[in-house]
Amino acid sequence: MQHPYEPTPARIDRIVELRRDVKTYTLSLLYSEGQALQPIKPGQFIMISVPGIGEAAFSVSSWNREGGTFDTTIRRVGRLTSYLDGLSIGDEVWVRGPYGRGWPLEESEGKDILLIAGGIGLAPLRPVISYIAHNRERYGLLEILYGAKVPDELIFIEEYDAWRSIKDTILRLTVDMVPKGVVWEYNVGLVPILIEDVGIRPEGSQVMVCGPEIMMHFVVKALISRGFGEDQIHLSLERRMRCGVGQCGHCQIGPKYVCRDGPVFPYSEIMGLPDLNI
Amino acid sequence: MDKILKEGEVSRLVERLLSQYQVFGPKRKGTGHVFDEIKSGSEIDLAYITTILPPKKYLLPQREKILSFDPSKGIIPERLEMQRKQLIFGIHSCDLNAFLLLDKVFIDKYPLPSYVERRRNTVTVALTCTEVDDACFCSSMGTGPSPDRGYDVLLTWLGDRYLAEAGSAEGEKILDLIEGRGAGQDDYKAKLKVIENTKKKFKKKINTEGLTEIIKENLEHKIWDELGELCLACAQCVMSCPTCYCFEVRDTLRLNLKEGFRFKEWDSCLLLEFAEVALGGNFRSSRAARIRQFIGHNLGWGGASQYEDLDGRFKCVGCGRCIRVCPVHIDLTDVASRLRGEVVAASI
Repeated sequence: MQHPYEPTPARIDRIVELRRDVKTYTLSLLYSEGQALQPIKPGQFIMISVPGIGEAAFSVSSWNREGGTFDTTIRRVGRLTSYLDGLSIGDEVWVRGPYGRGWPLEESEGKDILLIAGGIGLAPLRPVISYIAHNRERYGLLEILYGAKVPDELIFIEEYDAWRSIKDTILRLTVDMVPKGVVWEYNVGLVPILIEDVGIRPEGSQVMVCGPEIMMHFVVKALISRGFGEDQIHLSLERRMRCGVGQCGHCQIGPKYVCRDGPVFPYSEIMGLPDLNI
Repeated sequence: MDKILKEGEVSRLVERLLSQYQVFGPKRKGTGHVFDEIKSGSEIDLAYITTILPPKKYLLPQREKILSFDPSKGIIPERLEMQRKQLIFGIHSCDLNAFLLLDKVFIDKYPLPSYVERRRNTVTVALTCTEVDDACFCSSMGTGPSPDRGYDVLLTWLGDRYLAEAGSAEGEKILDLIEGRGAGQDDYKAKLKVIENTKKKFKKKINTEGLTEIIKENLEHKIWDELGELCLACAQCVMSCPTCYCFEVRDTLRLNLKEGFRFKEWDSCLLLEFAEVALGGNFRSSRAARIRQFIGHNLGWGGASQYEDLDGRFKCVGCGRCIRVCPVHIDLTDVASRLRGEVVAASI
């Protein structure tokens, strides 16, 4: 019986520094013969650990099926991520997963897609953008709303032009503030402000949101006041996770386990649950 | 065949079981009882009401290695192989029902190998309760005072003799070790009477009707803030709960900083760090939110709400341990009454 918490070693093939404290790591799993990387659905997460340092849940920002690698975009915020920040190409980490329910891409076919992200929350939505770009005819309009505190904190900047060139796609950017001397030609204000300009109508659309809970709170409010239904709004939640399979209890929100039942939930499924500030 | 045992024959039965199983049972310790390894039949004390810690510790040890690591050998997953079966003698109905809930968590979807191995190698000789104390309320939770499932053997004290019933093939084999006469209709009738008598002794009760909904509708009730003020967040309630299964995972390194192991250990939603995330975020930083999680999980959204095939049962099995150990006398049955709008005389 495979131990549900047993990791597989993975090698860091590539590191791209997105900004001062955010890097994208390309990992290839060092499986024994006959094993292969399990398919990763956009929005699912993986557990990454370093022996002796600890383990935590991370989103997958890209999956290369043919190459057997995946990308994870990680912000340096704590002990494990600071350790990861110090690693180089060729170093090994441990990986297990993927886990959880991802974004509702199949159910969203034929619909307009509104993506809303704040800060590092764009990472789990990046594979959605790639997926839609590769299967463009299956979806309607694509509108991406993205914001960060300051222009320096936006991630995946070098990909924006490519996103804008996807057919029927709009990218709207905002920052909370622009420091003196910084040139910024887009919107200034919190992410929910962008919703005022959204072209996508509630009818026949799906919304996918990831960001700090306080941002998601105001985003959901703004969406509902514009007529979006609670079951059209899908949110990716963050919680402390130790097992990934609905046992350790840390990620519970009422009866839901974020790891097993989420991390992506339609808002209608989590409305009114305790200890959730959305 | 179900059998009848005379009082003195229990320790002889335990002696016989010792040759086949590693036996654990209730032993006197200080003014109370604990589950501990039994080395001779006379050590067991079946006249116990409850134990400090539940026998959950035989399925989920407080601390358990998940894997070892060593740069030369890589990842070495821990594989538990029990050489002998363990037998838990004298387990009460509340604690036995707790096992059934733990099975849902650790066997159903992502089986935890060590749990599966322990459970597969665990035999239970359950005991119908004839006495209760002020904190017991299993009869309200539908989990006692006598189990209706989940045991290999069930003993019921009929006043002058034990009725021993088999609940499994393994239990039948155990009963074969008993020389006494077979059980008859009178004995089963006497058992029902004993259960009825025990039920009359419960002082603590809880009305579970619609309780899940009541808790859901009262997440913002002022009682949670009041409890948050009282609660010391000492987590004794969780540590003594037979169904609390949450755990933390940690790594530890040897002095060479290369080799080490990863282990899981009991954790508690009452502790501040439990729902903490990076950058100082904490989804349950207030004690009010944490006690609401503990009580909400036990009486609201745990049990059958999370595992459909639990027949409407709650996570809470009514053992009363959290009530007995709470240094500030928080009583979840009183909390449930308050949420129903009933006046409660106790400290809360």
